[in-house]
Amino acid sequence: MLSATNFSQQLQFESNAVDDSMDEGGAAPHAKKMMWSIEFEKVSKSFGSHQVLVDLDLQVRPGEKVTLIGPSGSGKTTVLRLAMTLAKPTRGDIRIFGESILFDADKKGLSAAQESRIRRRCGMVFQQYNLFPHLTVLQNLILAPTTVLRQSKAQAVESAMVYLRMVGLQDKARSYPAQLSGGQQQRIAIARALVMKPEILLLDEITSALDPELAGEVLDVVRRVAHESRVSLLIVTHEMRFAREVSDRIAVFDRGSIIEQGVPEKIFTQPENERTRTFLQSVLDH
Amino acid sequence: MTWDWAFVIKILPALGIGVWYTVVVTAAASVIALGLGLALAIMESVSKTYGRAFVLFWLELFRGVPSLVLLYFCFYVLPQLGVTVPAIPIGIVVLGVVYAAYCSEVYRGSLITIQGELRDACVALHLRSYTKWRRILVPLMAQRAAPALLNYVLSLFRETAVLFAIGVPVLMGEANDIGYEHFRYLEPYTLAGAIYLAMNLPFLYVLSRFKDKHA
Ligand SMILES: Nc1ncnc2c1ncn2[C@@H]1O[C@H](COP(=O)(O)OP(=O)(O)OP(=O)(O)O)[C@@H](O)[C@H]1O
Ligand SMILES: [Mg+2]
Repeated sequence: MLSATNFSQQLQFESNAVDDSMDEGGAAPHAKKMMWSIEFEKVSKSFGSHQVLVDLDLQVRPGEKVTLIGPSGSGKTTVLRLAMTLAKPTRGDIRIFGESILFDADKKGLSAAQESRIRRRCGMVFQQYNLFPHLTVLQNLILAPTTVLRQSKAQAVESAMVYLRMVGLQDKARSYPAQLSGGQQQRIAIARALVMKPEILLLDEITSALDPELAGEVLDVVRRVAHESRVSLLIVTHEMRFAREVSDRIAVFDRGSIIEQGVPEKIFTQPENERTRTFLQSVLDH
Repeated sequence: MTWDWAFVIKILPALGIGVWYTVVVTAAASVIALGLGLALAIMESVSKTYGRAFVLFWLELFRGVPSLVLLYFCFYVLPQLGVTVPAIPIGIVVLGVVYAAYCSEVYRGSLITIQGELRDACVALHLRSYTKWRRILVPLMAQRAAPALLNYVLSLFRETAVLFAIGVPVLMGEANDIGYEHFRYLEPYTLAGAIYLAMNLPFLYVLSRFKDKHA
């Protein structure tokens, strides 16, 4: 039986691997600059004539936990979708550990293989879990490791079981998603993202489809990931208490740009921006 | 005209051969229809340009022209162009290709019902396009399309009767030959109808199982 300590060791080990690759210098073209795990540079995004993001600059340090908050429609989901290459920015650049996920050194578009290699350091968990309904929990967890990372099935199963234990669902390996509660499905979705050993994990309102008590068990899992691993987290949430507890930094979004950012203490107790105050009042009243 | 049981017993073996050919032609044409239909649906979804245009052309062509016309064209016109193919392969391919058009519509319909969110999950897990289709989209499409596809296999089975027109000894062909030979049509056609009906039953059973399951 692997225990919680083994899990943290495993993640600790991964984060060492990250540091090693950064020390190699020549590994990435921008290695000499400060290495952000993910970096948005003057990113704009429009859908038709509707401009959703306006010259967004946002940097996340390796291991840093950053939470985006802000009113509905302010562009938070769009930021995560751009990072995951689920959508393309209209202007600007996005870099993962110094490498653009949009262009090569000559500013030309990336091939599918190049793009896949770079963004592989990034994983995402969605609001609606998005588990594959025709696959068992275990099959959901080993599909990407066996096909993308080319692990042997035995290896993938072993690693999947470690993460299933971590989310407390080792006895559900053979269940299908429809046989699980929403909270359990979301914990499986988190485990499915983690088996790919991402260095950046994007979480988009992962509890907003859940009843409060189920949300709690999912948030517990994220707390553990946040405290025991050195993965960078970019979180979108409406759970202000959770955001305050787990984040190193909070960025407040309004109409497609960051109007204020800082440590949770500051944002929640002494917000500078008038609209931040209004927004926090409206969500904390509920 | 009275029902002649002795005649019935005499013609049963020939009708049996008709049943055999009907089953073989249905099975072979279904494999083509289901496989090719899937390939067309995937091609239409993956390609934005020529592939899609080709698929749309295919659909219009084979849903627009009656299968009898296609059968006669292949059977009578192709030999004049120097291509002679035996009747059975012609029958199998024509029905397979025509029903591939219908099946691809069904597959495309079920592909639309697969939420974009699952495709997003494939991207977030970095699955290659091949893995995405092979392990996620095709199994889900097939699962959701199964009842409608089975309906088309059932129509295909009934439509094998037209192959008698080019001399394939399907059940209808055998019944026709017997009637022609003995100048007695009551027993052969009645039996043929009854046998077609009876052969429907397994399909209907499976379909009802699907409906129960999804009710
Ligand atoms: N695919 C799309 N096509 C057109 N408009 C879109 C699309 N995706 C998002 N938008 C628009 O972009 C804006 C920002 O959406 P986004 O989902 O990023 O907001 P959000 O901050 O995540 O909001 P919420 O808190 O409600 O989830 C919204 O006005 C939305 O309608
Ligand atoms: Mg959102």
